[in-house]
Amino acid sequence: MTTENEENGTEMQTEVDESAYSLARCKLENLLNKSMRIRMTDGRTLVGLFLCTDRDCNVILGSAQEFLKSTGTQCTPDSFSQGEPRVLGLAMIPGHHVVSIEVESESLQTTTHGL
Amino acid sequence: MVMKSSVEEEEGGWGLGIPEKMRNNADWVDVTKEFKGACKELKLGELLHDKLFGLFEAMSAIEMMDPKMDAGMIGNQVNRKVLNFEQAVKDEAIRVKDLSIPELIGIMDTCFCCLITWLEGHSLAQTVFTCLYVHNPDLIQDPALKAFALGILKICDIAREKVNKAAVFEEEDFQAMTYGFKMANNVTDLRVTGMLKDVEDELQRKVKSTRSRQGEQRDPEVELDHQQCLALFSRVKFTRLLLSALISFTKKEMSAVSEAQKLMTQAADLLPAIHSSIQYGIQSQNDTTKGDHPIMMGFEPLVNQRLLPPTFPRYAKIIKREEMVNYFSKLIERIKNVCEVINITNLHSILDFFCEFSEQSPCVMSRSLLQTTFLIDNRKVFGTHLMQDMIKDALRYFVSPPVLSTKCSLNNSHQAKDYIDSFVTHCARPFCSLIQIHGHNRARQRDKLGHILEEFATLQDEAEKVDAALHGLLMKLEPQRQHLACLGTWILYHNLRIMIQYLLSGFELELYSMHEYYYIYWYLSEFLYAWLMSTLSRADSSQMAEERILEEQLKVRSSKKSKKKKKARPLSKEITMSQAYQNMCAGMYKTMIALDMDRKVRKPQFELDSEQVRYEHRFAPFNSVVTPPPVHYIQFKEMSDLKKYNPPPRSADLYMAASKHFQQAKLILENVTSPDAEVNRILKVAKPNIVVMKLLAGGHKKETKALPEFDFSAHKYFPVVKII
Repeated sequence: MTTENEENGTEMQTEVDESAYSLARCKLENLLNKSMRIRMTDGRTLVGLFLCTDRDCNVILGSAQEFLKSTGTQCTPDSFSQGEPRVLGLAMIPGHHVVSIEVESESLQTTTHGL
Repeated sequence: MVMKSSVEEEEGGWGLGIPEKMRNNADWVDVTKEFKGACKELKLGELLHDKLFGLFEAMSAIEMMDPKMDAGMIGNQVNRKVLNFEQAVKDEAIRVKDLSIPELIGIMDTCFCCLITWLEGHSLAQTVFTCLYVHNPDLIQDPALKAFALGILKICDIAREKVNKAAVFEEEDFQAMTYGFKMANNVTDLRVTGMLKDVEDELQRKVKSTRSRQGEQRDPEVELDHQQCLALFSRVKFTRLLLSALISFTKKEMSAVSEAQKLMTQAADLLPAIHSSIQYGIQSQNDTTKGDHPIMMGFEPLVNQRLLPPTFPRYAKIIKREEMVNYFSKLIERIKNVCEVINITNLHSILDFFCEFSEQSPCVMSRSLLQTTFLIDNRKVFGTHLMQDMIKDALRYFVSPPVLSTKCSLNNSHQAKDYIDSFVTHCARPFCSLIQIHGHNRARQRDKLGHILEEFATLQDEAEKVDAALHGLLMKLEPQRQHLACLGTWILYHNLRIMIQYLLSGFELELYSMHEYYYIYWYLSEFLYAWLMSTLSRADSSQMAEERILEEQLKVRSSKKSKKKKKARPLSKEITMSQAYQNMCAGMYKTMIALDMDRKVRKPQFELDSEQVRYEHRFAPFNSVVTPPPVHYIQFKEMSDLKKYNPPPRSADLYMAASKHFQQAKLILENVTSPDAEVNRILKVAKPNIVVMKLLAGGHKKETKALPEFDFSAHKYFPVVKII
């Protein structure tokens, strides 16, 4: 993170950064209000609408639902607590707890269109 | 790579719980790398968001993986498997029959602790319903445990209904949610108490058969058996008595309340036996690898974790068994106290009862029981008296207005009757609200008192008009009588009481800073208590005028002069107390002024506000009141200006004056016949303050830079001043 910061500071790179910056912004903006699935470090998965993010990849999801980790295989379909999602509403996932981010393929298509 | 495989692995499992709309397009693409890369391009502190989504919304998001906010985190981190009741029974993790007595005792005690924790404001899901047995008592085969589980459910159900009906709770007091659990609704109350009684009788037989006989060599095993049976018996009986008492409160007849009182007395008698036998119950096993929750047979603290709302998880710390009996004995005392209310007939005394009851900061259940006992569904007091009649009685008792006297010509006037009836009807609702306010917790009461002043201001207006109209009528019928400011005086009295209570409760709730004390005490002593005393004496003289007229009428009829002894004035006690309070407030006011002169009051650097802003905020609710008119800051400054005295008093003079006020309060209180606890509490403050003020007047520690301390431990509203 610090190296990036320094790079931003150097004047030579400014122009390149500027375009990289706007491209990144554009990419992210296209994902706004799209369905997003985020896995967290403790194995839970949240599904919700992507509303907000920042440099540290802290993500805010709206109308989020929480799914517990499926214990490896699906051998416990009768386990009462696993299948049902829990409604969370507005939830912020700190960047360092984000393991993976997925979006619906449809929304990604519109993204490429947009670009 | 690792991420990808884990995602693929999960793909199959995803269909399981995904809602329909998501299942249809479950075509997810991993964008982790791009997303994280793109994020890094953002500037420090920059937020990428939609136009409609701002910082404000962002703030209200719950933060995942923060144990303070993320309720789902805990349940997810425990290694053991969380089982529900049916699963636990299937896996034989818990038994539904052949439970040993120590097991039963342990389960019951834990249940009691859960019940108490719930009554103290936690959710049912985190307390009572962590006990798997109450999830479905039908599955339990052990008769004692089954009856007990049903009993606990019924107790919860009735308590919940009562609290909901009384509506004197806020989210910090009580969680009414049942999360869809069944509260034993398929069995009648009577059946449950019957089942408990059967178990009780069975146990009693065992207790008797194992009882030691005279001269018999005691087998320690039999003795233990006897003790354990007795322990179980006491618990089952206690449950039955508590449930029966609550059932009594749901009945309409007032006799049921005294019945409840008897049941509570019986329950209290069982508490020593329960307390001494806590150690017989099994304890929770503390061998969990994670060390989060001790495990107790039949209990699973995490079973409902998924049911909790997404708001901040509140940790329900279940109280300890040792504290259980203590809580129950206090609860029983409170409920017995509640039952006393039905013996009071006078509205003013009932109001005082509610105030006093509230002062002990009672639990939400006893507060609710008091409310529902006072006003039964049909809006009748104790289910029998009309609120309107109570108000008329209160008026007669307070000002004896001619219109309510049977010996007055207005009694035959239809018009007068209409006037007073409609006035009294309009009074009913605000007075019911006033009583309801006293059922809320202490902190909420203050806010609500501020609001109800608006309603009383309207009543005040009406009272004055009705007084004028009645006076007009009376002048035509009986020119020697008056009907001036009768109803008005009564409403004014209540207005003042509410205002005084509003200000005083700020001390109890520790809302005021030290530098604010002086104008609060000034407002109380110079203004509100002065008004209250003149209102009381006006009511008193109005009573006397009525009595004189009645006596004269009697004299005319029977020449025999009934030699009445001079009876005590009904309002004299209240007048005396008001004088004492006024002196205490005046003493505190002068103390604060003098301390300020000696630079012993820390004042804030008023940057964004000023004293005026604070002053106006403190007395803002009084602006809706017409009589007494609010005193604005400028007026206050003029009225309290010391420069108008010649020569202006020095701090020593003010300390001396304060000391005299405390002295005066002490004299007044010491002359009270049959002093109550309140009198003694004020005396405990007045006496040391007399001495401290005299010392200060003599220049004691005048040079010290240390600020004085105000100790409110002896009295909620008046501190003992301490100079260090």
